[in-house]
Amino acid sequence: MNVPLRDVLVLSVALFSLGLCGALLRRNAITIFLSIELMLNAANLAIVGFASRVGGYSGQIVVFFAIVVAAAEAAVGLAIFVAVFRHHETIDVNKTNLLKW
Amino acid sequence: MSGARLVFDLAGAVAIVFAGIMVVHRNPIKSLLAVVVSFFAIAVGFVMLSAPFLGAIQVIVYAGAILVLFLFVTMLLNLDTESASSDRRPFQRGLALLGIVVFAAILLSAVRRSGSIVGPSGEPPATGEIEPLARALFSQAALPFEAVSILLLASLTGAYLLMRREPPAKTGSAENRP
Repeated sequence: MNVPLRDVLVLSVALFSLGLCGALLRRNAITIFLSIELMLNAANLAIVGFASRVGGYSGQIVVFFAIVVAAAEAAVGLAIFVAVFRHHETIDVNKTNLLKW
Repeated sequence: MSGARLVFDLAGAVAIVFAGIMVVHRNPIKSLLAVVVSFFAIAVGFVMLSAPFLGAIQVIVYAGAILVLFLFVTMLLNLDTESASSDRRPFQRGLALLGIVVFAAILLSAVRRSGSIVGPSGEPPATGEIEPLARALFSQAALPFEAVSILLLASLTGAYLLMRREPPAKTGSAENRP
């Protein structure tokens, strides 16, 4: 392969760490969710990098299913945010810290 | 340095810069748009790793559908920007940053030794053609393919149930409601 595996993994680690940063430091629930999507993408990138080194198509199929599951997760997660916003008028995670009421 | 590596490294730099913009921006719309750019750069990375189908899926599904859904909901909720003064937990933030730095250092030290860990598995390397990918997807992964279609249907139904408003109570039918 033309692209060395190390470049792929370093990029994946950097994106995952940035996503973790966003998930831990932000307080807006939508930004936290976006950070989780970024971490998912970093993992996908690492899988595609390994797959391009190993050969075959199994890795690409795994990433394909990961993207589909991410789409389902985004739909349900955003619906939950809208429901929470109707209840609390905010989705700041510091203010919506109770599961009930 | 080969051309593919140069393009991959440029796309990776763009992805990292815009992911950083996403993390530091307080306005959710702006961080969302930064993530769109970052995901496009990751799609370029997929193409450079001889997975052009995944690059197309990344653009169409991730940047095209999922992030537009995010944008739609963010605009629907009409969120304010986060105020810096409302955060009263500097200790936890510092601890989180320290944890992330340690985590990234551990991962990078593992990556540094990954030079030749993966050998060829006997299968021919992926050439970037769609047809063998489609054959593998519909033969060896046919059952998971059907399973995720059920998953998508279930999440669609769940999203509808969560977003639905309670129908207004009609006069005279109140005794039927629990």
